[in-house]
Amino acid sequence: MSRAQIIMTRLALLALVLAAWELLPRHQVVNPLLLPPLGDVLSMLGKLLLQARVHEAIGVTAAEVVVAFLIAVPLGAVLGVLIAESDYLGEVFKPMLFYVFSIPKSIFLPMFILAFGITFAQKVAYAAFTTTFVVMISAATAVESVKQDYILVARSYGATRAQILMRVYVPSMMPLLLEALRISMIFNFTGVMIAEMYASRTGIGHMISGWGENFQMPELFAGVILLSAVAVLFNEAVRFFEARCSAWRT
Amino acid sequence: MANLSQTMTVPGQQDTPPEKAAIEVANLSHIYAGAQGAVPALEDISMSVGSGRFVVIVGPSGCGKTSLLMMLAGLRAQSQGTILCHGRPISNPDPQRVGVIFQEASLYPWLTALDNIEFPLSLRGAPRDERRRRAQAMLILVGLEGFGERYPHELSGGMKQRVSIARGLVQDPPVLLMDEPFAALDEQTRMTMGHELLRIWSKTSKTVVFITHSLTEAVFLADEVLVMSARPGRIIDRIAVTLTRPRTYEMMATDAFGQLRERIWHQIRKAD
Repeated sequence: MSRAQIIMTRLALLALVLAAWELLPRHQVVNPLLLPPLGDVLSMLGKLLLQARVHEAIGVTAAEVVVAFLIAVPLGAVLGVLIAESDYLGEVFKPMLFYVFSIPKSIFLPMFILAFGITFAQKVAYAAFTTTFVVMISAATAVESVKQDYILVARSYGATRAQILMRVYVPSMMPLLLEALRISMIFNFTGVMIAEMYASRTGIGHMISGWGENFQMPELFAGVILLSAVAVLFNEAVRFFEARCSAWRT
Repeated sequence: MANLSQTMTVPGQQDTPPEKAAIEVANLSHIYAGAQGAVPALEDISMSVGSGRFVVIVGPSGCGKTSLLMMLAGLRAQSQGTILCHGRPISNPDPQRVGVIFQEASLYPWLTALDNIEFPLSLRGAPRDERRRRAQAMLILVGLEGFGERYPHELSGGMKQRVSIARGLVQDPPVLLMDEPFAALDEQTRMTMGHELLRIWSKTSKTVVFITHSLTEAVFLADEVLVMSARPGRIIDRIAVTLTRPRTYEMMATDAFGQLRERIWHQIRKAD
């Protein structure tokens, strides 16, 4: 199948799903109280985006996501590089890291609430906590992916430590690092949402859980569309750079 | 082919000893700390490689050939003994004196062929024009004109190793160390590459130390073959290869070639 055909098929499927979403509830084939027609949801989304309290919630959520990300990525990266570069630290901490990684992080959420209260810090701390593990494991994998031969070659040509880092490690790890960034953002965003939905006074996650509890389905679906769009856009932006940086990978 | 057997008994380049040694190794030993205590890896190695000579080292797997080469390159420290390269000790990599070519071509996959060849020059901050010019010249020397913009995954195994040789030559070091550079290639490509290497060598007059497992390759390329024993590695024989140059594929079928290969094989079997 040609590239164009595949794209056409995808668009056709998308159109089919959207049409079904509009038409089935509209003609009572599906209960519109449970699934409001797409048109209603979109007009609700338009209305919500004009409301000051929604702007405030978006601002709070965005701030939580960004701050948690800015804490988790450097922290996880440094720890990941340490356990990959130091044999001793690797031997000691790697098994523990994998044990902890396997535990669902959401069970720790009540402890974060006890420690931080229902605050901005609680959302950030919990999201950063869940994300740091992913970043650590990805960073360690990225460091280990750099072939020893590449380093040996650079050394044989008299490269300094800084040159080995910038000219060998960074380009060699770049595709994996971007992938790590993308996946950690997924975890980070999820962390903030769970923390907001579980216990919060503001934020988009809080609004979504409120709409769900009050059976406000158009609002709920509008929120889902909004968050999905933001998440997909971020993911695709990073993937675009990933593809450009990894043309040499086959 | 009768004249060939004569070249066996009448040494060619052999009777004019090189005035200056490019590499001199004296009483080199190496012991490394293994899991079960100290393991002697190399024992009392002394060798001298004349300037412009092509010396091949053969020996059983794990005899320390590669370790020895890494020490000659200044990439690994020996426990004892001295290594002089053009009269000065080698303790750190010195790309101005020594170029290293590794087993797998070890090209950087994120750089084009030309950028790979330029890499050593860019490390020491050579101007862009000079880098391009010299890399282009090397690309032509190794017979890859027009392939400069290709990435390594777009090149065949033989072509990658050509790029790797160009990278080793780009700083014009007098000494070239090669660690089984053609081991990963198929037999046919390997023979072609050996022939190509001799062509390049004859144009550049480098001193070459070349490691291989292939006895045919050793005899075909070398002025002198050093045979190493199993661990701890020692040099147990030095065999002068007095076949005339330029070497041709036809020489491989001669008695002289066969006898040399037989002699090396005999030594290796004893050594293993």
